[in-house]
Amino acid sequence: MKRIIDNIWLCLFGFVVVATTLFLLAPLLMVLVMSFDGRSFVGRFPPPSLSLQWYAKFFSDDYFLDGLWTSITLGLSTAAAATVLGTGAALFLDRTRFRGRHFLIALFLSPLIVPHIVLGFGLLVLLRHAGLDNVFLSLLIGHVVVTIPYAIRIVLTSLQGLKANLVEAAMALGATEYRAIWDVVLPLSRTGVVAASVVALAVSMDEVTMSVFLIDPFTYTLSTALFATMRDSFNLVIAAASVLLMGITCMAVLLLDRLVGLDRIAGQGDR
Amino acid sequence: MLSPSSALVVDLRNVTKTYGTVVAVESLSFGVRTGECVSLLGPSGCGKTSTLRLIAGFEDWDAGTIQISGVSMQGKRPYERNVGLVFQDYVLFPHMTVEDNVAYGLRRRGVAKAERSRRIAAMLDLVKLGAYGTRYPRQLSGGEQQRVAIARALVTEPEVLLLDEPLSNLDAKLRVEVRTEIKEILRRVGITTIIVTHDQEEAMSMADRIVVLNKGKLMQEGAPGQIYNQPANRFTADFIGRMNWIAGTVVERDRLDLGHQHAMSVKQLGAGVGQRVEVGIRPERLQLSAGPPGGGAANVLPVVVSGVEDLGSDVHYRVIAAGEIPLVVAEKNSGRPLLALGDTAHVAFEPEHCIVLPNDRDQTTTRERSPA
Repeated sequence: MKRIIDNIWLCLFGFVVVATTLFLLAPLLMVLVMSFDGRSFVGRFPPPSLSLQWYAKFFSDDYFLDGLWTSITLGLSTAAAATVLGTGAALFLDRTRFRGRHFLIALFLSPLIVPHIVLGFGLLVLLRHAGLDNVFLSLLIGHVVVTIPYAIRIVLTSLQGLKANLVEAAMALGATEYRAIWDVVLPLSRTGVVAASVVALAVSMDEVTMSVFLIDPFTYTLSTALFATMRDSFNLVIAAASVLLMGITCMAVLLLDRLVGLDRIAGQGDR
Repeated sequence: MLSPSSALVVDLRNVTKTYGTVVAVESLSFGVRTGECVSLLGPSGCGKTSTLRLIAGFEDWDAGTIQISGVSMQGKRPYERNVGLVFQDYVLFPHMTVEDNVAYGLRRRGVAKAERSRRIAAMLDLVKLGAYGTRYPRQLSGGEQQRVAIARALVTEPEVLLLDEPLSNLDAKLRVEVRTEIKEILRRVGITTIIVTHDQEEAMSMADRIVVLNKGKLMQEGAPGQIYNQPANRFTADFIGRMNWIAGTVVERDRLDLGHQHAMSVKQLGAGVGQRVEVGIRPERLQLSAGPPGGGAANVLPVVVSGVEDLGSDVHYRVIAAGEIPLVVAEKNSGRPLLALGDTAHVAFEPEHCIVLPNDRDQTTTRERSPA
């Protein structure tokens, strides 16, 4: 009897894993296939013929290309800024103990739970009030606000996995605290820092809700452009663009993996 | 007796350190002379690691002075001192090779490349890791990692080397071996050393002098043999080795009544007739014999065996002496048949092996320095 119940549980867990995987992968696969659809209208799945027409349409449309360019530059700038600021904040939070530290951590992480629509509206009001009318800069500020909690969280976690007295060991050998962090802590938390930048890039490329508050007709991101297109004419350029977005993120991960060697250093400096 | 402070490499005077309301170190004074190996010994929470951290410069103290080579360390950061430190868990830099680990201190001190390579090679040879320079710490055993940590700390030629529980991360068998190795390395370098440990065997085997700490206070200071044979207080007597305590009433200047018509002689009781005192005696100072002992031992008490612990080379007996005094007797395993549970026997011991302590138990704090 015990064994039967045990087996039922195992089957249930197995089913959940399979179902989750399916729901995660099925839409991606469908989008991937549909983006190569040979028909000129949105028809039933699977497509009877394949072509690159939607990609051609995408790359011949300046509306999308402008958006893509903005998304890439914005994504990279956001990733850079969020990683630097987030790493700094995480180092500070990890190396100090003071009253209100936990409050500060909660505050830094709050953009994770505050709806982006609230953040977008709030930022719009604030930035206009402050007289900032540069749309790209507004978008950058917004995206950094949204991505920095991820960066802090990820770097903080990787810092907490390090031996607490690594800095002391370096200081006893003649390093200043700043130097010890640079020589020992940062190299050992490299995995976290890199992961933070990848997540920041991905989140920035994906962000729509807040961005729609901050864009104007001349400066907009690819995702907001896709969103706007989808509302008035649903065609498969969106699928092609989505595949491109996925491709860019995957490339970024692979490239960073190559450059930094994520596997090689993973697991070093653990407790 | 006291050497002038100039001869002391490390000199602590009345150092007090508190964390909030907890007193970690209380008015602690001791010194370490050039080339000497001193052990800070005490149970966990006795303030020994706090003391080490104060000397290394990781924390500030509240009162007193700490000098290294005659220079006050007040407000000096770790990198402004010349102190070598080996952590309990070594804390090697996992992303650097053995060579780079050892090189780190030299780099931070701006030693030129040629000189650096020479000193690293010499140091790795000293710790017998000459062929391991390009390996990473994770590729080394615990004992090897520790030798790298020692090399890394020694290569900058510090004025004093601090070792925090150097053997606690090794298994029992390896411990004795590594202990000998470390001792040999320290001897060859001739460096002034402070070893923090809770293990009395470690302290006794490695140190020239032991500083016994309890609850942040100095309990006794002296050579290992002196601490063992002449403990100054109940805490030291119990913490270093095992101690049997026999309570009795003083009936004569050197005679103690144990009740039930039993009595024993003690050298120099130092207490008035009629007073209750406790007398300590080490387990290996007691001689157990099945029949009445010959040779006219001064003190003989009848015992009943209540427990036998056969440790191979030694046998530990738990016995009840004179009807009610529990004693532990340590005997070498001489090959003759062991006594069994419930056997009656006799213990014999000499008055001069009895340790009489002042009445005010744990509170006593004494300073004994061996002549310089």
